[in-house]
Amino acid sequence: MQKSKKIVLVGHFGVGKTSLIRRFVKNEFSNNYQVTIGVHITKKEVQIEADKSINLIIWDLEGTDDLRTMRPSYLMGSHGAIFVFDVSRPSTFQNLNEDLALVNDRLNKVPLLVVGNKIDLVNKEDLDSLLQEHQISNHFLTSAKEGTAVDSLFTKMAKMVYGHD
Amino acid sequence: MAMIEKYKTEHLAKNFQFVLVDKQGNVAESDNTLFNIDVDSQIQDWHPFFENFSDLLSSFKDKLHIDCVHLDSGNTQYITDIDFEKKLDGMLIKVHNLTSYYDNFQTMAQSRNESAIASELIIIKNKEFEERERFKNQFIQNFSHELRNPMMSMMSITNLLAKTDLTPSQKQLLEYVQEGNEHLKLLLEDILSISMISTGRLKLENKTFNLHKLFDLLRFTYANKAKANGLKFDAKIDARLPETAEGDRLRLYQVLTNLLDNALKYTDAGSITFTATLNQKWGNKMNVRFEISDTGKGISTENQKMIFESFSQLNHTNEKDGVGLGLAIVNGLVKLMGSEIKLTSEIDKGSMFYFDLNLKTPITQIKKAPLQKTIKSFAQKSKAAMEKQKILLVEDDERIQTILLKTLIDSGNYHVDIINDGGKVLEQVLDTDYDLIIMDVHLPNTTGNQLARLIRDFPIKKIKNVPIIGITADAFEDNIKGYLKDGMNTILSKPFSDSQLTAAINKYIK
Ligand SMILES: Nc1nc2c(ncn2[C@@H]2O[C@H](COP(=O)(O)OP(=O)(O)O)[C@@H](O)[C@H]2O)c(=O)[nH]1
Ligand SMILES: [Mg+2]
Repeated sequence: MQKSKKIVLVGHFGVGKTSLIRRFVKNEFSNNYQVTIGVHITKKEVQIEADKSINLIIWDLEGTDDLRTMRPSYLMGSHGAIFVFDVSRPSTFQNLNEDLALVNDRLNKVPLLVVGNKIDLVNKEDLDSLLQEHQISNHFLTSAKEGTAVDSLFTKMAKMVYGHD
Repeated sequence: MAMIEKYKTEHLAKNFQFVLVDKQGNVAESDNTLFNIDVDSQIQDWHPFFENFSDLLSSFKDKLHIDCVHLDSGNTQYITDIDFEKKLDGMLIKVHNLTSYYDNFQTMAQSRNESAIASELIIIKNKEFEERERFKNQFIQNFSHELRNPMMSMMSITNLLAKTDLTPSQKQLLEYVQEGNEHLKLLLEDILSISMISTGRLKLENKTFNLHKLFDLLRFTYANKAKANGLKFDAKIDARLPETAEGDRLRLYQVLTNLLDNALKYTDAGSITFTATLNQKWGNKMNVRFEISDTGKGISTENQKMIFESFSQLNHTNEKDGVGLGLAIVNGLVKLMGSEIKLTSEIDKGSMFYFDLNLKTPITQIKKAPLQKTIKSFAQKSKAAMEKQKILLVEDDERIQTILLKTLIDSGNYHVDIINDGGKVLEQVLDTDYDLIIMDVHLPNTTGNQLARLIRDFPIKKIKNVPIIGITADAFEDNIKGYLKDGMNTILSKPFSDSQLTAAINKYIK
């Protein structure tokens, strides 16, 4: 039977969680912002190697600026998590380390990727100094709008959860 | 009761779907109220929400409730709450359709999140803008400082050159150079003011000053300027305004003169009116409206916003001379004083600029009494010091300045203020009561005899009658007669001796 793994996308609202999933699953993007409430679940098969693939069950969670208010029932049984922030809005990564600690705690330290999205909105030098200033590492830098690094993000996640229980 | 029960059952029946699955996730029964789920199919194949069903089963004990799950199948979409209940033979899944409830919730969340994001982005934009402005202003400030020194030496060299023997045509050419210099200097000062205001370097002073003297100076200066331009000038000063006020006199003066100069510049015919009205007074505070109106060519609505922006006018070629930073300075200074410059205008009818300013009005009686006491006691100690006469020396030639000063100070009887710019004399005279003015006839910006004429026309007795000694290198009898006619009491021709000077002073000071 095909292996399937649940991953959750968490982060503040409006950072592009829904857009990243939409780009990855349907290769579409819209500038219109439709606030997610509750949870949307999508399934997508990811090819890891020539003969290895996995079903990602992607849970797109309602964003919040206070991660402590995340509903625990959504996180149950997750195999991996992607934390998304918006590189153009400091409020979404201001407390990054605390937010990540909280996610790790709630999710029992499953594989976690940190993603700065909307890189199409800032220039490279500003982005570098911003990441350095906030000591953000272990990151992916993506643009759901332009499709930058979106596939490699989810493929990386798939690989991480593949051998992991 | 029976009916209510029936309706209730009907309602619940419409919004709930019950599904029974076995431990492997095979659908045993489904009432299909909301979705069609085939019996004997795998529940996880129906929707990915149920993926890893066995994991899900082991993750809770008896019951599990999950809020707000978007379920969709084919064209059917609902937002639901889902309950799991473990039963002997498997699991009961209750799907509760709450779409309309969650739709309302979504609408609220939408507007809340959108406005939160929008306001954050606005703050970021503003910060960026301010940073760029600061950088720009800092640059301009440094740059204009750099320009000032060579500018100053150029000016003084030109002035020295003007005092040498020149042919009439050389003199004419030099006058053009001097005019250009003067214009450049004013421009540089404007740019410096603007950048200092913008970078927050400019600090306001808070000092007591004579409000009425300030108005007198404006009335006097602009009545003359207006007349020279064939315009009428009117100053309407509210009689209820107190004599003294506390604030930054220099900056207030700068604002008002900039506005008046602007009015002069854009008015070809008619009149200019300056109005000061007491809006309100409470305790030692007051609110004063200052208003400058003209019958000039007016400002179009689209230009009204722009004219206060710094450097906006630099982008436009001005038909009138001057760069027109004046209004940007006014805007900045008035803001700094905690007010806002406003404007109403109509094309071809004229413009009115106005602002309401909070000023303090020191309660003079309380302040004066102890002041006089200290002066008295001081006077007893040093009587001579207190009885010194006040002399204003207006002279731009430093050599003559030194000679005069030496004579005056050696005598020990005088307190001397020196001004080297004729343009500042009236202001100074209004601010301080002098017993005597000694004034060169040839001055930058104006001439001494012209100033004498203005002083003699003054509506204030004490100023109007102050003795004036003119100094000139001019030896022509006719010219000297003219100076006397203009209001100078006597003329000293250069070179003169100490004793000639002392004699002249003694004649006019008792
Ligand atoms: N410029 C740009 N806009 C993006 C990007 N990703 C998302 N957005 C926009 O950001 C807004 C919020 O995106 P959304 O995916 O709904 O964020 P979520 O609340 O985290 O799910 C939407 O208006 C998107 O169009 C991106 O990579 N670049
Ligand atoms: Mg979303």
